[in-house]
Amino acid sequence: MGSVFKGIQKLGSAGLVLEAILLSVLGILLLIGFIVLRRWYRARYFHNRNRRTVALRSQWDDILSGKIPAEDWRFKPLDCDIVESILLDSIEMSAADKLPPLLDCLRVSGLLDMRIYEARTSRGLAQRTALLALGRTRAMEAIPALAAGLDSRLRETRIAAVRGLGRTARMEAAIPILDRIASGRFDAPERSLKNALVNCCRSCPEVLVNYVDRTHGPVRELLARVLGELASPELGEELLVLASDVLPEVRASAARALGNTNGSYTLSALHSLAADPEWFVRLRAVVALGQIENIGKISILLRALCDANRHVRQRAAWALARMEPQLHQILEDVVATKDDYALQAFVSELERSGAIEKIVSGFARSGHHSTETALMEVVAEARKRVELTGKAAAAAAGVH
Amino acid sequence: MHFLAISNDILFIYFALSNLIYLGLLIVAIVKNVRHRHRLGSQRLELVKASPFTPPITLIVPAHNEERSIVGSVGALLGLEYPCLEVIVVNDGSDDATMEKMRLAYQLQAARILYIADIRTAPLHAIYRSPLDPRLFVLDKEAAGCKADAINAGINAATSPYICVVDADSILEKESLIRIMAGVFADPGRVMAVGGIVRVLNGSRVVNNQIEQVRLPKSPIEVMQVIEYLRAFLVGREAWAGFNMLPIISGAFGVFQRDLVLQVGGFRTHAVGEDLDLVVRMHRRLHEERRPYHIDFIPDPTCWTEVPTDLKSLARQRARWHKGLIDTLWPNRDMLFRVRYGRIGWLVLPYMWIFEFFAPIIEIVGYTTIILALISGVLSKSFFLQFLLFGYAFATLLSIGSVLLEEMTFRRYSDWREVARLLIYCLFEHFPYRQLTMVWRLQGIWQYLRGDLQWRSMKRVGISTDPVV
Repeated sequence: MGSVFKGIQKLGSAGLVLEAILLSVLGILLLIGFIVLRRWYRARYFHNRNRRTVALRSQWDDILSGKIPAEDWRFKPLDCDIVESILLDSIEMSAADKLPPLLDCLRVSGLLDMRIYEARTSRGLAQRTALLALGRTRAMEAIPALAAGLDSRLRETRIAAVRGLGRTARMEAAIPILDRIASGRFDAPERSLKNALVNCCRSCPEVLVNYVDRTHGPVRELLARVLGELASPELGEELLVLASDVLPEVRASAARALGNTNGSYTLSALHSLAADPEWFVRLRAVVALGQIENIGKISILLRALCDANRHVRQRAAWALARMEPQLHQILEDVVATKDDYALQAFVSELERSGAIEKIVSGFARSGHHSTETALMEVVAEARKRVELTGKAAAAAAGVH
Repeated sequence: MHFLAISNDILFIYFALSNLIYLGLLIVAIVKNVRHRHRLGSQRLELVKASPFTPPITLIVPAHNEERSIVGSVGALLGLEYPCLEVIVVNDGSDDATMEKMRLAYQLQAARILYIADIRTAPLHAIYRSPLDPRLFVLDKEAAGCKADAINAGINAATSPYICVVDADSILEKESLIRIMAGVFADPGRVMAVGGIVRVLNGSRVVNNQIEQVRLPKSPIEVMQVIEYLRAFLVGREAWAGFNMLPIISGAFGVFQRDLVLQVGGFRTHAVGEDLDLVVRMHRRLHEERRPYHIDFIPDPTCWTEVPTDLKSLARQRARWHKGLIDTLWPNRDMLFRVRYGRIGWLVLPYMWIFEFFAPIIEIVGYTTIILALISGVLSKSFFLQFLLFGYAFATLLSIGSVLLEEMTFRRYSDWREVARLLIYCLFEHFPYRQLTMVWRLQGIWQYLRGDLQWRSMKRVGISTDPVV
């Protein structure tokens, strides 16, 4: 067998290996050269940008009012970039009444039209940058161009369009997203969609209800989840319909939404959701019960404290342990359930919230009446058992 | 003579193949990094923070004899920018004042909180909560002699769907949690775990457990490690993750879906490289269940960690890493070349066997046979020198490539002189540092074969301990 080394040597020692050495050295020099040049260029660019930012900031009021005509800065790429970023940052931070002069400046200078044009005609990074910039403008006329971005074949562009529409925080911007989602053929990350819809529908969650009614399956679940975040007392009846939906995720979202309502119907709806066959629906109902101020929730939470699911028990205990004025009575009721798991979960949550010390000192102050002494003993026993749970489990498992 | 020729052939093919793979990884990493930078431009972290859909996360901090830094580290972790955070410090039977310092600084109170040992661990002495910050819990447990056991206890106590394991002596940048979770948000249904970048802390200025000024360390041995870390994370992990073949998420900083970690039985206690072992088992499980998944790496969330400052500690660390590698590869050898494990069984694991585990063996055999071939005249002196020169030049090219990647993306070393020093050290990394690493890795193999799986402590300078309570 001829050696590979010999084979290479046959090519001539000045051949392959020498060329490879030269190429590697050339590569090293090119990389170092690139690093040095890039550093130099960036230092120079940021120095210039800094200088121009100071100059433009000192004339800011005149630029905004139009005293300095847009032609003076609009066609200098660096100046244009600086003015646009200052404008967009200001728009994002401004209240609605402060927006008009900023938007006027964008419109009069043609910056808005330039971004709309780029969003419609560019591709790749330039298009995505334009879509995001358009979203930040919060301008009505940006919405059609952003909506067109939703139909891009590129997923990244669609995501940029969704984010852009979300940033406008306008109800009108939610419609193109909702239409496409409802068609069932729109592919974008669920989280981006949910965030965009939450931003756009915050002032008008009713718009979501129509779409929830028209859709099915995962789309319906997604919309219900958004609705769950935005629900207001005005949505009461619609939420009651969703609370009896066939999809568990929709029922769970309705439970979450009900936590924000606290109407006369809330407690009875959450009562039935807390007995749902799906554990995560019961869990959301219990979480929602924790949010509402209603003494009537105690009996539902006590029932949930004896739930077969550990998470439901824990959340019920969490909610009960935070009902401070009633803690003494609740503890008695928990003991009366004679459910060890319920008592452990409750005592554990009292420990976590720090309320256990108050209860115990409360018992001590009251002079140890027979009922309270008995309660204290039960609590002390439960505390020991909770403490032992970890040790016992580990010991039973055989520790190293 | 014939043996020498064959050996040299194998060596040449091995060398060419490994360099081609590294070059390929570098190119993929550059493309992926640039794309990631573009994507970052469209992401607003404050919106992620404000989103009601941002899931809670539990930080698990295993601590064993960390009295010098624990209070400051925990303070910094509680100060991380994330909307729903829980921090669980697991005191793993420290012999020093770790627990006392925590107790004093955070006024810890014993709390009999329900603790269900889904994963077996050494017994807990107590669970503490802090009235100063309700997000903080401290588990005090018996030492089991391994970090994995402490992490498992933390996983048992965690209440969030995602867990993030952080070393007590490391520093996370304020936005690192939000940034690493952005990797999960991209596709929560598929992304099971995400790793962030670990960078070298030595030399940097730290105030109140936050990096104030990033500087290169002074000693050459530490600078070499800076280059190694850049190459390993920005090139290796970035590229492997691009193909969904990431074999490891650093134990110093990584986010995992808690349910999946529970399903695979948690971190394997007494695994030498528990981080590598967990990720390989996660790949195994997900492939066996035919679940669509992604284990990702995100290059911008940063964790700063202290690296060994002396040769002895470095030697121990490298030997331990190599033991960890064998300790994971050997139990998972049944995954090799099996269709059900897809690219993990066909590409990643064979790569790790051939180009990671066998590398020091092949290297030492290569050095020996080439010298013998040179002495016996099988190989000409001029060709030997040229080949040596090429190997050196190409390896330097790859190291400089990783510095370029750092320059193109995150530019943490902003000073000209720092970059110049990095570039100069790239020229000297391959002799004798590389050969020393080879010897330490061989020691690791030898120790593993002897059954010596002990964790040997590393000499550390320690980070600032200014309290931030």
